[in-house]
Amino acid sequence: MAENSTKSDRVGGLIWLLLGIGLCIGSKRIGLGNFHKPGSGFMPFLSGAMMGLFGAILLFYSCETKLSRKERFEAQNVRLRANWINLFRDWKNFFFTLLALFGYALLLNVLGFPLTTFLFFFFLFRLTETEKWLMPLFLAGVMMGFSYLLFSVWLGCQFPRGVFGLG
Amino acid sequence: MVSFFENLHLGYQVAFTATNLLYCFAGVFIGTLIGVLPGIGPTGAISLLLPITYGISPVSAIIMLSGIYYGAMYGGSTTSILVNIPGEAASVVTCMDGYQMALKGRAGPALGIAAFGSFIAGTIGIIVLMFVAQPLSVVALKFGPPEFFSIMILALTISTFLAHGSMVKAIIMIALGISLSQIGLDIVTARTRFTFGITDLEDGPGLIPIVMGLFGISEVLVNIGTSKNLDIFKEKIKGLLPNLRDWANSIGAIIRGTFLGFFLGILPGGGAVVSSFVSYAVEKKISKHPDKFGTGVIEGVAGPEAANNAASSGAFIPLFTLGIPANSVMALLLGALMIHGLQPGPLLINQHPEIFWGTIMSMYLGNALLLVLNLPLIGLWVQVLKVPYRILFPLILFFCLIGTYSVNNSVFDVIVMLIFGIVGFLFKKFKYEPAPLILAFILGSMLENSLRQSLLMSEGSFSIFFTRPISASSLIIVLLLLLSAILFRKRRQVIAELEEH
Repeated sequence: MAENSTKSDRVGGLIWLLLGIGLCIGSKRIGLGNFHKPGSGFMPFLSGAMMGLFGAILLFYSCETKLSRKERFEAQNVRLRANWINLFRDWKNFFFTLLALFGYALLLNVLGFPLTTFLFFFFLFRLTETEKWLMPLFLAGVMMGFSYLLFSVWLGCQFPRGVFGLG
Repeated sequence: MVSFFENLHLGYQVAFTATNLLYCFAGVFIGTLIGVLPGIGPTGAISLLLPITYGISPVSAIIMLSGIYYGAMYGGSTTSILVNIPGEAASVVTCMDGYQMALKGRAGPALGIAAFGSFIAGTIGIIVLMFVAQPLSVVALKFGPPEFFSIMILALTISTFLAHGSMVKAIIMIALGISLSQIGLDIVTARTRFTFGITDLEDGPGLIPIVMGLFGISEVLVNIGTSKNLDIFKEKIKGLLPNLRDWANSIGAIIRGTFLGFFLGILPGGGAVVSSFVSYAVEKKISKHPDKFGTGVIEGVAGPEAANNAASSGAFIPLFTLGIPANSVMALLLGALMIHGLQPGPLLINQHPEIFWGTIMSMYLGNALLLVLNLPLIGLWVQVLKVPYRILFPLILFFCLIGTYSVNNSVFDVIVMLIFGIVGFLFKKFKYEPAPLILAFILGSMLENSLRQSLLMSEGSFSIFFTRPISASSLIIVLLLLLSAILFRKRRQVIAELEEH
């Protein structure tokens, strides 16, 4: 576990260091101004420098935590499996949920609010109810009706009608 | 004194209108609900409901959003006691003795003392808030840009100091939050910063997409991999009213928890979570039978529950008097006030007394409503706990999507939220706390403005921050905090490891 966290801290430290440097370079291009009259890049430069500095500190500490050769060998076996498998333990649900979310964002303008909402709920309920079709269909229909009444009718939110002109 | 009673009367008139009563009830009801449900905390719930408040008056919005915050503190104890899973972070400690009491057939008194303790602490907290906030705001009127800058630096430092785990990671979160707040048009020079030609970024990334991504979406992404059916307490809950012996054992813990919680609540970054832990530690330390803590002693429930409720009142002090949020929930309330065109700070109480006094009076009412919601209606919340997560999580995601979209009718905002959802998921996995990021994001532009104004005032000299007493003392505290963090680094690591296990 210690090995895992030091490795992720090492990668994290490096990312923050690079991002901090990038911010400082970008801020300098925008214009730092001077202490009498700070420019638009002054504050981003300070925050970028802070990020880079503490990214470097994180990197330094993670490299400082060294394990013995035997501990390293033992940890290496566990590490490969644990690192990313632990991160996405239920990778199927994780990726399909993300797919549903991005799908909703991209299809909302195309298909309109009610249809996209129905598809979103059906997809997610089907994801967890792998054996049955009828229940996810029914629940998705109920959710679509409920959300339409709540957001469009009651709260008066404006949603895209999509190519089918629904909603 | 006359104006004090006039203000009280004004607050009463504002809070007791039919509309505000409804919003107060809606707030505490939703607060209890999200407190009961593990997986979504008050920050996530408030960010979900923030877009809905655009169409209502600012005072109604703040009344409802505050209700969610302190309501969640009440509701969180129910899950801790009955299921041994904290409904939200501030109720983690309640699991230790609350669940043990439930196992011994004393779920009723545990729930009862949690609700009564919360009520007493909440009410005392509001009274102290009422008396302290106005005089403090008068003092704060004398603050200039250097004072505000230093106090904001102090607030951000304390939030990193009190963050769980690595302080270095918390400081990186602060830097990231400030950097994100710099994206978009610079109002002083009218120059765009880090927009990469994307017109949607000219106003900067919105608060709501970031908060919903970091707290709502990421929470679901973490939970879908680990969710399991909750083992709900099945016995009938009886005897919700604690007996005399329970009261005798608890009243001291409630009073101590109240004052401890209130003052810790004022400090940025800690608030309810830290105060509940500290209260438990204090009760254990002064107890005649510390070995019994963790086996179901009522003081172990009463103290922390009182502390987390009092802390939620204390957290309003820096928001209303200085315009500086003490935690991520207060940062959202600050955002809500700013969206309604109000500038929180020392002038708010004088220029818009209806907001401050209306909220205070609604909190009295909300606390009484919560007592009713949490004791006679306990059966309802137990039923809510039985809703399977596979039904719940699509709903939470859907509310995040619609909540974010409806702010500007923008798919771009939704994409930003989803990106921050993934980022928040990675933050949780690699132990970066998002709360300091939100605090820094909200304070970022204020920090920049006060730094610029201070440097203009001093003609480029940083000595202005060290020659004015309040500013200098704030920065000295910052220095001491950073020094102590370096000196006690090892100790902090040990505590973080203990918390993890």
